Amino acid sequence: MTDITKETIAPPRSFLSQDAIQLFYRLLAAFLICAVLAVLSDSFLSLGNILNVLRQASLTFFIASGLTLVVLTAGLDLSVGANVALSACLAGTVIHQTGSPVLGIFTALIVGGIVGLLNGIMVTALRIPSFIATYGMLWVLNGLTYWYMAGDTIHGFPAGFRQIGSGYLFGLPIPVYLLVVFLAIGTLFAQRTIWGQEIYAIGANPVAARLSGIPVARRLLLVYSVSGTMAGLASIIFLSRLNSAEADIGESLTLPAIAAVLIGGTSLFGGVGTVFGTFVGALILTLVLNGMNLLSVSANWQPLVTGIIVILAVWLDMKTRRRAQ
Amino acid sequence: MRQQKLGYLALPLLMAAAFTTQARADGETIAVFTKNQTNPYFQTVRVGADVAAKAMNAKTLHYIPTKPDSIPEQLSQIEDVVVKKPSSIVFIPVDYKAMVPGVEKINDAKIPVVNITDRSAGGKFVSFIGADDYSLGLETARHLLKTLGGKGNIVIIEGVKGSLTNVDRIRGFNDAIKENPGAKLLASQPGNYQRLQALQVMENLMQSNSQIDGVLAANDAMAVGAIEALDGANRKAQVIGINGTKEAIDAIKSGKLLASGDYNGFAQGCLGTMMAIRSLRDQPIINEIVLKPTVITKDNYKPFDVPLEQRNCPTFEEAGKLGGK
Repeated sequence: MTDITKETIAPPRSFLSQDAIQLFYRLLAAFLICAVLAVLSDSFLSLGNILNVLRQASLTFFIASGLTLVVLTAGLDLSVGANVALSACLAGTVIHQTGSPVLGIFTALIVGGIVGLLNGIMVTALRIPSFIATYGMLWVLNGLTYWYMAGDTIHGFPAGFRQIGSGYLFGLPIPVYLLVVFLAIGTLFAQRTIWGQEIYAIGANPVAARLSGIPVARRLLLVYSVSGTMAGLASIIFLSRLNSAEADIGESLTLPAIAAVLIGGTSLFGGVGTVFGTFVGALILTLVLNGMNLLSVSANWQPLVTGIIVILAVWLDMKTRRRAQ
Repeated sequence: MRQQKLGYLALPLLMAAAFTTQARADGETIAVFTKNQTNPYFQTVRVGADVAAKAMNAKTLHYIPTKPDSIPEQLSQIEDVVVKKPSSIVFIPVDYKAMVPGVEKINDAKIPVVNITDRSAGGKFVSFIGADDYSLGLETARHLLKTLGGKGNIVIIEGVKGSLTNVDRIRGFNDAIKENPGAKLLASQPGNYQRLQALQVMENLMQSNSQIDGVLAANDAMAVGAIEALDGANRKAQVIGINGTKEAIDAIKSGKLLASGDYNGFAQGCLGTMMAIRSLRDQPIINEIVLKPTVITKDNYKPFDVPLEQRNCPTFEEAGKLGGK
């Protein structure tokens, strides 16, 4: 098995591949939205607002980046939002009880990672379709979190810890630095490592991947664990930015994360997409909400506009893809 | 309490014990229906019900949908309760229209039922205890405008568009603003009762509005989210919330939150349970109480800064003065 090279598993993904063309369309879409908003609102292009958008997009991106790997394997992780909620509540408790943000951060990453690993075990060892396994996990996590919190909130964290989500370094919000780091790690991992290539191969054709000697189960365990760990990381950003944790924070996080992955051009059928695309997807979603706030669009129309953008983006994606083939 | 729960998490078997219902006692059994385990408001209702039942030597059994506000789940819980035959029921419908058939089932089973919080669109009730969202919005907003001297730039952060509580609260906010010709409503944007969304909306609004003097948030979580956004941008504005949660009381104490409107969840739980028991014992009852809102400020927060379990229920004589009809 060891003589099978990377090239025979999957073609190397050069930067001018189909993914690159798709990315170009996405950046174009983001650019067009920016151009329209810049014309309609004086404040849109201010430095403050641009940093604002990037910081807001980063939280969605952290959740969606790990999720991208899962979707690349033709899976789905519906438990990410509930995972953020449980991780945030447990990490918040640990910080309150021990006074140590570091222990809190470890708690969130470990809880998030364990949840992800359990998802991976259900998908690989028990062969439950990921949609069902992670949907079940969503309920389990919600149940645990609701019971644990009993309608309470945890709030008030040390100032140092608050810096992670709310602070600035050389004029840039700290989450933006984290965004750049994880965007780079995610992109390099997916495009430039054998493991990354194997993940694409599993999504493109799991049978062929298995026959080529890729340890499919182990790679799946990895992607679900990464997705869970990124949810844990997101919970830390959430805690330090909002200064508070409550049981129901997850519900509003899952669907935007999935939408970011899809708008970013990652196919639900697996094997196609990029982490950078997901970043652009998160950016587009954030830009739309930011623009509607700046323009004082009525609260009635905001969900409608967001829904149309999501449908339009995925439809355009499928259209351009078909043409490219 | 929560630390102890953290220990339990490692031992899922103990969970079974935590979920078993309380044993029945000699006194009457009152089944208390609330909407969810996530909103702290319903926790205050449940504790109020427990305190009142204990004082009158009766027992409570709580029915809470595991999926927040789930109509089918509350319906099936009603079916369970009709079989179990509690002495009486204190009922908050998860949906004031959709749960009417459920109420009719209770009526058919000849179990007396008291309606609290959300007025059911149909069915027969022994008594109704509620608060008035419109006057809650009106009075809190009046307090804000009085503090601002009747003028200034105001933004509203709305709850879930179309929900009954939100419609009435926002109407109250708007009417209070209209009473003050010097006040200007800059924007009314949706935060969906979510902390994170309110924070982001506030960040966005601050980009397009250089001067914001007052923020009217339709619940406390959004108010606290807006305060985090203001703090992050080193800006100051007077903020009000609604619900009187513990977090809001803490924020009022520290001067970050101007006021919160108390929806009197504790009193509603108390009085609903009291009426249910009194009607069983053939004592006089009050058929309808619409509680007047209390605006909790730095001057009167003390009675609210007490753990729920240690608060006192209003007496029957006091209840009549609280808004009885």
